[in-house]
Amino acid sequence: MDLTVRGVVRRFGPVTALAGVDLTVAEGELLTILGPSGSGKTTLLKVVAGFEIPDEGTVRLGSEDVTLAPPRQRDVGMVFQNYALFPHLTVAQNVAFPLEMRRMPKPERDRRVAEALALVELAGYEARLPRQLSGGQQQRVALARAIVFNPRLLLLDEPFGALDRKLRESMQLEVRRLQRRLKLTTLFITHDQEEALILSDRVAVMNAGRIEQVGTPGDVYARPATRFVADFVGESNLLEGRASGDAAAEVPGLGRIALARAAGAAGDRTTLLLRPEALRVGAEAAALPNRAHGRIVETVFLGLSVKLRLRLDGGLELLARLPLRPSEPLPAAEGETVPLGFAPEDVHVVGG
Amino acid sequence: MSSVAEARAAPSRARPDPERARERTLLLLAAPALLVLGVLFVWPLLRLLSMSVADGTLAQFEKAALDSLYIAVLWDSMEIALFVTAICLVLAYPVSLWLVQAGRLGFILGMFFLLLPFWTSVLVRTYAWMVLLGRSGVINRMLRDWGLIEAPLPLLHNLTGVLIGMVHVLLPYMVFPIYAALLRIDPDLKRAAEGLGAPAWRVFLRVTLPLSLPGVFAGCALVFVISLGFFITPALLGGGRVIMIAMLIEQQVREFLDWPFAAALATVLLAATLVIYAALGRLTGGQAHAAR
Amino acid sequence: MSIRMTRRGVLGTSLAAAALPMPALAQAKPDRIVVNISGGAMTNLFRRTYFAEFEKRHGIRVVDTSPVDFGKLRAMVESGNVEWTVTELGGQDFVRAQQMNLLEPLDLSIIDLSRYPEAVRNTTHTFPSSVYSTVMAYRTDVFPNNMHPKGWAEFWDVRRFPGPRTLRNHPVDNLEFALLADGVAPDKLYPIDLERAFAKLDEIRPHVTVWWTTGAQPAQLLVDREVVLASGWNGRFYDIARRGAPVAVEWQGGSAKQNAFGIPRGARNAVWGNHFLQVMTDPKLQAVYATELAYPGLHPDVMNHVEESVKPHLPTTPENLAKQFWLGVDWWTEHGQRAQEAWNRWMLRRG
Repeated sequence: MDLTVRGVVRRFGPVTALAGVDLTVAEGELLTILGPSGSGKTTLLKVVAGFEIPDEGTVRLGSEDVTLAPPRQRDVGMVFQNYALFPHLTVAQNVAFPLEMRRMPKPERDRRVAEALALVELAGYEARLPRQLSGGQQQRVALARAIVFNPRLLLLDEPFGALDRKLRESMQLEVRRLQRRLKLTTLFITHDQEEALILSDRVAVMNAGRIEQVGTPGDVYARPATRFVADFVGESNLLEGRASGDAAAEVPGLGRIALARAAGAAGDRTTLLLRPEALRVGAEAAALPNRAHGRIVETVFLGLSVKLRLRLDGGLELLARLPLRPSEPLPAAEGETVPLGFAPEDVHVVGG
Repeated sequence: MSSVAEARAAPSRARPDPERARERTLLLLAAPALLVLGVLFVWPLLRLLSMSVADGTLAQFEKAALDSLYIAVLWDSMEIALFVTAICLVLAYPVSLWLVQAGRLGFILGMFFLLLPFWTSVLVRTYAWMVLLGRSGVINRMLRDWGLIEAPLPLLHNLTGVLIGMVHVLLPYMVFPIYAALLRIDPDLKRAAEGLGAPAWRVFLRVTLPLSLPGVFAGCALVFVISLGFFITPALLGGGRVIMIAMLIEQQVREFLDWPFAAALATVLLAATLVIYAALGRLTGGQAHAAR
Repeated sequence: MSIRMTRRGVLGTSLAAAALPMPALAQAKPDRIVVNISGGAMTNLFRRTYFAEFEKRHGIRVVDTSPVDFGKLRAMVESGNVEWTVTELGGQDFVRAQQMNLLEPLDLSIIDLSRYPEAVRNTTHTFPSSVYSTVMAYRTDVFPNNMHPKGWAEFWDVRRFPGPRTLRNHPVDNLEFALLADGVAPDKLYPIDLERAFAKLDEIRPHVTVWWTTGAQPAQLLVDREVVLASGWNGRFYDIARRGAPVAVEWQGGSAKQNAFGIPRGARNAVWGNHFLQVMTDPKLQAVYATELAYPGLHPDVMNHVEESVKPHLPTTPENLAKQFWLGVDWWTEHGQRAQEAWNRWMLRRG
């Protein structure tokens, strides 16, 4: 079922945690709220789950207004950051809990629990207590418990934070697979931009109690609507300059830069985003319209790629990310000065 | 479970077992307290034991354990301790629930009233109860003025008085363990239960209550054991009708200087207490573990 | 060699000189003595009378401790760590204290008992400090015009004198009262017939609403109208009556006994303990004490220093003494534990 949040405001004394949030999650969609801690994403989750009542605005599930409904009447499955498994109940009892609360007859309940556990690949673990499980297994139990009663909405509150990297990646994929298979409308909360980009149908970037941009991962990455989004999502070279009126801009330290289109009226302040992977280094830079020279001040190897920090003559620093192929040597070593360049169509005018 | 057990059973020989090292550190930290306990508690206890068999026979124990008087009083004492424990539990649980969610001011106020009995001498406290509970005491006068009763209720100089006086003093011993247990419960568990469809009362029965059981058992054990040792309050508020074993021990020590017999009585009481304690521990051991 | 000799000589002389003041040192005054008494109002009164007089006469400070605790006395003496110089001895304990060899002998060359009654003049270990009595008290508004129970037979008569009563939760006095109520002559009380006493106690039991434990209780119970008749220590009733409570004492059947003081065996300043007890023989101070607490000392002159209005409240006037009996301390010393056990058993019986 789809979720609609309209004009939600929540204040705690002098602090405004949510400053008018509008958001729609379509049926079967996985939407991620991405934001740093303190951005209001947890408060938004609590408002949707029913643990907080907003001061203003409405929350609707399908056509039903649930703004004031207590959590137990919302039919929302939630996976908590620390899983919140009942430590005194077995795995089966944990998963059966929502069914028990709905007074489902025992045979039916047992069948559903078995199904849910099979779905998360924990069949056979029914009689264990949560503390006898690993972190990943605990999370699967939490997930099974959240989906076993066919909730109208699934909420995931940074569920992968406590897992190590490898486990986290496999759990992310598993959750995504499950969510697609069950066509669960899902709201996912995270501060990890990589996770958000991998998992989501759409991403909503939150900052200071507001949603700054909603879009597909590609949109948000390539065409950030605000300087905050550009900075928070992915690595970036943010260039401050002035529009020249035509398809170009004047950037201190780089000079005139050719753009794909106008960045505004002549003399307007403008912020330009150049992703590190769009910056070419070495011979291939020669053919590009925007060119400069920079000295390599730092080289960081990242497995499949290498990250270079380059200092231009005027002191401006740019990041470049080059694919690393075993057959090709690096274009230059630290301390050397190399030519750089980038295409006009790779420069995104933030907010433009 | 099995993997945990295996890991425990087969620690690698080369590496020091961190669990063992941790236990050793903890033991070291507890050493001063253990030493004090050893000197101030275990040693006198051993002397007490030896005193009870000082004449080389078990005659004192024979009397303490077989004489119907002492059996009856011991039994009564257990019964009273059980009553006190039950009443304390019924009163303390809601208070603890309230304390956990009370604001700062409420918490300080609650603690103040809970701890008030500790700041008053047992005699002052007991006489205050006499003023309140007497035949023409405050409570009976109020009830009569409101026309609720005709003859004064016998609230004092009987079991009722003793129970009221003892519960008053022992309530904090029940509240604190329960409060601590409730405080330890992750608030997300209650949210999770609510979100999964549980109304408040089911959240309580299915989550809060079972998870607070270790505190409940600790409180019960504490109150029960302390109750068994009471003698001033029951002597004053019981009007002579309530005899607890500690009163008889005190009589033997202070009035008759029959220390061997007092020691035997004390040992019997200690043994009975330990048996009950062990039984309770058995019962709660699993629970406490599960809730950790 | 000669030098060495000289040296030794010098050393010897100086040692001898140092030894000279030794006897004087043994009699040197301590800076304080410790007197252990019951506490409460008694402490203030002791401070005003005996403590003040002792400090004035001897220049030694008196430190008071409380309560009186026979078990502690025994523990102190047996461990050799005696903290008290002088202690009060409660109830019948003075006989047992002497029997168990817990007391220093008194120095009657310091304590002058020459004018004391014959019966106590030759005491060896315990100092007879005062007389008190367990008596019957009643509310004068419930039993006005002298229509109150006179003696324990009438105390037992719940039809003529209805109302709740209180007795001490202890066999001492109560067994005697029961026998007196049952018609036993005061001089035939001992040895106590336990069976007969408890049978008589069975009769009064339903009408005793409180079995009291502390001395303050019976007086308070009368004041609060929790009971209309009580047994209790005469000084406690004297105190509340003086402060206007409608309470009076009936001396008939009262159980008189003496309070005693002693010096624990091994007490550090036993000499000064004797001096303190000598201060306690002063009839003028005893009179102040008697006027305040109604517990007169045994010096025959004490009555000369007490006002007429106080005398009817004292247990030692000839008229009052004639109505009372002296508690059989010897019987209780020997049979106390057995009687207490019987008492506990009786108390435990339901009903």
